[in-house]
Amino acid sequence: MLTTKSRQFWPGNNIGEEEGAFPLLKRYKAHESKDSIMRIHDRYKCYFFILPAFLLLVSILGFPAIAAVLQSFNLVWVSKPSFTLSSYGRLLYDIEFLTSLLNTFIFVFTTVSFHLLIGLGAALLLNMEIKRRHFFRVIAILPWTVPDVIGGLIWKFIFDTLPGFVNAVLIRGGFLVEPIDWLGRPHLAFSCFIFAEIWRGYPFAMLILLAGLQAIPRQQYEAGAIDGASPLQNFLYITLPNLKYMFIIAMILDTIWECRLFGMVYSMTGGGPGYASQVLSLLTYKHYFQFFNTSYAASIAVVLAMVMLIISIPYLRMTMRREI
Amino acid sequence: MIRKALLMIFMLSVATTFHLTMPLSVSAKEVTISYSDWQLAQDIWGRSLREAIAEFERLNPGIKVESEPVALAQRDVKFTTAIRAGAGPDVFALDANPVKQYIKEGWVKDLTPFIEKEGGKQWLSDFYPFCLMPVTEDGKVYGIPKNVVAMVIVYNSQLFREAGIKSTPKNWKEFRDVCKKLTKATKPGGPVDQWGVAFVLAKACFDLRFSVVLRGFGGDFLTPDWKHSALNTPEAKEAFNYVVDLILKDKVMPPGVTQVDCNEARRLLAFKKTTMKIGTMWSITEVSGFNPDLHGWEVLEMFPVPQKEGVKSKIRSTLYQKSIFMNPNTKHPEAAWKLMKFLTDKKQMEKWFVDNNMLSCRKSVNDTYGPILQSKYASVVKKEIENAAFLPLIPQWPECLETFRQNLQAAIAKQKTADQALKDAHNQIEAILARK
Repeated sequence: MLTTKSRQFWPGNNIGEEEGAFPLLKRYKAHESKDSIMRIHDRYKCYFFILPAFLLLVSILGFPAIAAVLQSFNLVWVSKPSFTLSSYGRLLYDIEFLTSLLNTFIFVFTTVSFHLLIGLGAALLLNMEIKRRHFFRVIAILPWTVPDVIGGLIWKFIFDTLPGFVNAVLIRGGFLVEPIDWLGRPHLAFSCFIFAEIWRGYPFAMLILLAGLQAIPRQQYEAGAIDGASPLQNFLYITLPNLKYMFIIAMILDTIWECRLFGMVYSMTGGGPGYASQVLSLLTYKHYFQFFNTSYAASIAVVLAMVMLIISIPYLRMTMRREI
Repeated sequence: MIRKALLMIFMLSVATTFHLTMPLSVSAKEVTISYSDWQLAQDIWGRSLREAIAEFERLNPGIKVESEPVALAQRDVKFTTAIRAGAGPDVFALDANPVKQYIKEGWVKDLTPFIEKEGGKQWLSDFYPFCLMPVTEDGKVYGIPKNVVAMVIVYNSQLFREAGIKSTPKNWKEFRDVCKKLTKATKPGGPVDQWGVAFVLAKACFDLRFSVVLRGFGGDFLTPDWKHSALNTPEAKEAFNYVVDLILKDKVMPPGVTQVDCNEARRLLAFKKTTMKIGTMWSITEVSGFNPDLHGWEVLEMFPVPQKEGVKSKIRSTLYQKSIFMNPNTKHPEAAWKLMKFLTDKKQMEKWFVDNNMLSCRKSVNDTYGPILQSKYASVVKKEIENAAFLPLIPQWPECLETFRQNLQAAIAKQKTADQALKDAHNQIEAILARK
C-alpha cells in the first residue's frame, strides 16, 4: 500500500507526463522492486555483521577440526604425506581402542545418569525455602570449580594405598586389616574414577535443573494444591514434565563433556592398571604425544567427534526449532 | 658556502651511518635464545642449571638466555607441538628414549656443520663412542651428549645391618631372600610396614628400572637388531614371573606398587618404608632431599644389578643419557651452538657432578676429576656402565614399552595370568614393529 509519506521518499518523484497510462501502478512497481532490493540487502546485512565472529570461529574451531580429519588420512603434519585409510582400518581390530571405547560408554552412561539423579536431588533441595539457601548453593557448586586434573590428584591421594585417606579411615575404624589397593585393581580403579567424576560433575546438571525448577510457574502448584495433589503427585505431574527440556539439555551437554574428559583420568589412574580405566580421550593423547602415531590419534579423535555429533543432534534440533 | 655545504653533507653522512649502525650493534647485544629442560623445574637441578646459564651470559654479553622449565611428563607434548608450529625453545634437553623419533620427524637440527667447524671427529673424541650412538643417524650428529649413568641397586645400609645382612645380593635368588628378610613389621605385633623393595611400575621412569630385571636374567625387550620382540624367550619369561611372584606371592613390595613412580619409590626409601630401589647417581640427591633426617649420603649405598648365575650376556643394566639439542626453527643458530658447547664443556660437567652427583659423557671428566675418582657411588656406577646398554633406539619404542607395562600391570592385577600377559605383550609388540 502506498502512503503519502512513502511517496515523498521515492527517488525521481517528479512523475510527469512520460509515465503515460497507469502512472501510479508503474511507480508502485518501481518502488516495490527498490524495496525488495533493500529487503534483500537488509537480509544479508546481518551476515556481514556476524562475519568477523564467524571467521574467528572457523579459524579457531574449524581449522583444527579440518586438520584433524586430514591428519587421520595421513595428509598433513607427517614426514611423508600420502592418502590412506589404514588408521581407520586399524581401529576395527585394535583391542585397546575397542576396550577404551567400551570404557568410555560405561563411564559416560554411569556418570551422566548419576549427575542427573544427584543434580535433580540437589536442585530440589536448593529450590526449597530454607535459611542460608545461597550459602548452600555455593557449597553445592564447589566441586565443579575444581579443575579436573586437580580433582584427579585429590582423589588419587584419597584412594592411595598406603598414605590414602580412605584406607586410613577404614583401618582405624577396624573395618580393614590390610589396606585395599583401590587404584591397583581393575574394577575398583575404574569405579573410583567414576565416583570421583560423579562428585566433580554433578553441579553442572544441578545448575541447569535448578534454573528449570525456578522457571516453573507457581500457579501450577497452586492449582495442584486446590485439586488436593500430594507432594509426590506434584513432583510427578508438574515438576518432571516441566523439567523435560532442561533434562535433555543437561544430559546432552554433560554427555559431550564426559566424552571429552581427560584431566581426571590422566592424573588419577593414567588409564591403569593395564588399560582398565582408559577412555578414548586418554588413548588419543597417548598415541599423539607419547607414541607419535599422529594419524592414528587423529582417527580416534574423529571417531569420538562423530559420536558426540550424533549425540548432540537432538540438542541442535531443539535449539533450532526454538522449542525451549 | 661550498665549504659549509660540504661540512653539512659530511655531518649528515656521519649521522646517517651512526644511525644505521646503531640498531645493528644494539641488536647484536640483544640476541635472546631460550633453553628448555625438565630439570629446570626441579629444585636442586634447576638451581645448578640457572647458575650455569648465568655464567654463560656473563661470558657472552651479547647473548641472553631465557630459561623455560617444562614438566617431564609434558616435555614431548610441548616440544613437538611447538616445533611443528615453527616455534619452540632454541636449545633443549632430551633423554635417549624419544631422540630417534625427533630425528626422524626433523624436530632437531643437524649439528654436523657446527661440529666440523670445531674440529669434527677430533672435537667429538672426548665423548664416549656409545654416548654418540643415540644422537647420531646416518653419520650426522643431531645432539651433544651431556650426562650418562647406568642403573644399579640403591639400598639403605643401616637397615641391612639391622637385619643382619652382611653382603649384598649377587644374583636374583639372593635378592629375593634379602627382600624377604627386610619385609617385616617394625612394631611387634603390628602390621607389616617395611618392605624389601619397590619397583617402579607406573609409567614415569618404568623403562630404566624394569629393564635391568629382564637383562639381569639374560633377557631383553627386543632382539639385538631391535626388529622383533624378545619376550618369547625363556629368560624373559623367568624375569617376568619373578617380578609377578615378588609382588603377589612373596609380598616383598608395598601394596599399591603398580602406582609407584620414581618419586614415590624415592619417598618410600627416604622414609624407610622400603630398603632398596633400582636407581643410580641421582637417587642419593633426590632421596636425601625427601628426608634430610635419613642422612642419605651416609646410609645409602649401591651395588651392581644382580645377575642370574650362568648367564653369559655381559649386559645386565641400562644406560640413561641426557643430551642437548638445537631446534631447527631457531633464528640464532650460532648463539644456540655457543650455549650447547658451554653446557657440555668439561668445566660444566664437573660442576654438574658436584651439584647433582651425575657422571659425564666426556671421558676426560670421569677419568680425571678428583671428586668423581673419590666418590663411592661413582665407582659403582662407572663400573656398571661397562655392563649396560641403551634401551632400543627406535621410533616405535615408547609404544612397545607402554604395551609391555600395561600387560605387566594386568598380570599383577590378576586380569591375566603372567604367561598370558607376557604372550599378549609379545604379540602386540610384534604387531607394532611390523607396522611401517
